[in-house]
Amino acid sequence: MSENYKFDTLSLHAGHIPDKETGSRAVPIYQTTSYVFNSTEEAASLYNMEVGGHLYTRISNPTVAALEQRLAALEGGASALACSSGMAAMHLVISAICSSGDHIVASSKMYGANINLLQHTMPRFGVNTDFVNPNDPEAIKKAIKPNTKLVFGEVIGNPGLDIMDVPETAKICNSENIPLVLDATFNTPYLMQPFKHGANIIVHSLTKWLGGHGIAIGGAIVNGGNFDWGDKDKFPTISGPHFALGGISFWEEFGPSALIAKIRAEGMYNFGPSLSPTNAFHLMQGIETLPLRMKKHIENTHSILDFLVNHEMVKWVKHPDLETHPDHEVAKRILPKGSGSIVAFGIKGGREAGKLFIESVQLASHLANVGDAKTLLIHPGSTTHSHLSSEAMKEGGLTDDMIRLSVGLEDINDIKKDFERGFKAVKKLNK
Amino acid sequence: MIINFKGAKTYIGTGGKSLDNTKKTFCFLHGAGQNHLSFIQQARFFAYKGYSVVVPDMPAHGFSDGNPCKSIKENAEWINDLLVELKLKNVIITGHSQGCLVALELNKIFKYPLEAIIFVAGSNEIPVNQFLLDLSKENPQKASQMMVIWGHGIDGDMSINKWPGHSHYGEGNNIMCMNQPTALNCDLNSCNDYSDGKDATKKIKVPTLAVLAKNDQMTPLKSGLKFVELMENCETHILDCGHFIPSERPLELNSIINSFLSKLE
Ligand SMILES: Cc1ncc(COP(=O)(O)O)c(C=O)c1O
Repeated sequence: MSENYKFDTLSLHAGHIPDKETGSRAVPIYQTTSYVFNSTEEAASLYNMEVGGHLYTRISNPTVAALEQRLAALEGGASALACSSGMAAMHLVISAICSSGDHIVASSKMYGANINLLQHTMPRFGVNTDFVNPNDPEAIKKAIKPNTKLVFGEVIGNPGLDIMDVPETAKICNSENIPLVLDATFNTPYLMQPFKHGANIIVHSLTKWLGGHGIAIGGAIVNGGNFDWGDKDKFPTISGPHFALGGISFWEEFGPSALIAKIRAEGMYNFGPSLSPTNAFHLMQGIETLPLRMKKHIENTHSILDFLVNHEMVKWVKHPDLETHPDHEVAKRILPKGSGSIVAFGIKGGREAGKLFIESVQLASHLANVGDAKTLLIHPGSTTHSHLSSEAMKEGGLTDDMIRLSVGLEDINDIKKDFERGFKAVKKLNK
Repeated sequence: MIINFKGAKTYIGTGGKSLDNTKKTFCFLHGAGQNHLSFIQQARFFAYKGYSVVVPDMPAHGFSDGNPCKSIKENAEWINDLLVELKLKNVIITGHSQGCLVALELNKIFKYPLEAIIFVAGSNEIPVNQFLLDLSKENPQKASQMMVIWGHGIDGDMSINKWPGHSHYGEGNNIMCMNQPTALNCDLNSCNDYSDGKDATKKIKVPTLAVLAKNDQMTPLKSGLKFVELMENCETHILDCGHFIPSERPLELNSIINSFLSKLE
């Protein structure tokens, strides 16, 4: 991968140089739906994908493009496409590559909506998925069939924090000529750059740490450009003739950026999950401080892990940086800067204790998001999974005493004090 | 399209339109370690303007098999034979970098006069330093990465791109990685060894256009300006970018070529 400027510099600058006319230092928000053509020929050349440029904001926009080019630079990818949410990004990738009759191998330990899309929605369109343990490369290999079109996983799984052995999985995918698609939301390019480990496509929920302030929903696809789509029988949507544009073969005409070209020409045209320019601006503001924030997220996480592991009211603590985590060795190898700022822990006293803890803390916010600059908490047993029995939760790999913590950037002693308030309340209950 | 040429699978980009050898044909010649994807934003553009377009992947480059040509003259002979095979007569040659040297030699041997020659980031000589020659043999991937950095102006470093969402570095690296590993070293040696450029340039009798780059670190502007002086009436433009003009300044390049061609009509 070619890089001249370092990560911290690219986080601030990539994708934008002040223009000569206005000198605007910040990336301007091009709040427009469309762009005036200078001539009919120019319009035609954009429609025909003869040259790059903007014709309609559903397809591309200068502010959104600055964000995309920043992400491509940070990940070391050939090209990127930003869209309305992390889920939109995932659906765009799957629908670009797979058609009815195709098969996917995916991690069984992923974010609920990722699982739901593959397990329940895609089968209605004839695309079926086999789920396997993400840290068992052999199982992944065994699950691959002749009609498998991609392998999908989360680098750090949500919420179980399972770590996918990316280099080993990439080797398998490479030998089978199948792209490895990774949801890298929890690691961000600051903690780990999947293309350096052999992955081919990255999807991000920008909503989380990349945006980092809980103010805008967004998603992105970054295309490594390192996958050979040339097998027309296996990947007809990328290398075979497209239904429009004179039967263009994206692989022949755009090579490393074939996937993104395909997604712009089909997904963005026909489904239209575009990102608003204003949200692109907000997300880019977040990325400017990504390296600083991630450093502090990890520092605070390690400090709170120490606190929780040694706390009398805590039954168990789960984080890949702890030696007790089953994937600790993989985490050390592929995430040497730290394995993110989500922590799961069990509180003594079960479901009732979890509920009381959440209701007793003041600083940490009780909500359904992760990756905010502010500390966030949720107790699945009394919220997202409250309809399930303890046994049913266990089957899904969750326990009713579990609290999911997204460690923020506050003074960590204030967070510890806040937690003590919660633990005190639970202690009273347990008595 | 893919043809079997000289016993090897050979890919020829046609800009998304089928080849019509009764029309004027743009033939694009890629640079060292590159392939047809150097001209992404020229191939379709000129094909959709009514020209026939051929952008061959030289042997061992891009989607073409075979062994890489070992000299500029061998490259020119290969192209000459290909144009004959495709029955092309009215040919506008556009070379980028090494492709400009190949164009100089092709001009000497092609049996029909070329319609015009367009030199992009070109010169009559392209000396290559020993460090890069050695690195391209020992570690072509690393050599490619360095060329991608040197080859782009500030837009490379800053991830600025006229094509929304694309990265010059990420794309450039992967384009070079598509070639067979021996191709880059062969190309760089061919460039370095070529010494007939001055004579070949003086022999040109057809209209010429040169588009040079202010911040070109591969074929420096100084060398390009000396080169154009060797030709009579070579229309010359200097763009504010690095060596990879076709992807760094696609719209300006296409428009300069368009107006140059309209003056020839
Ligand atoms: C790992 C992971 N991927 C994807 C998503 C979906 O992101 P979005 O809400 O931006 O659609 C989430 C949301 O929580 C997530 O945690």
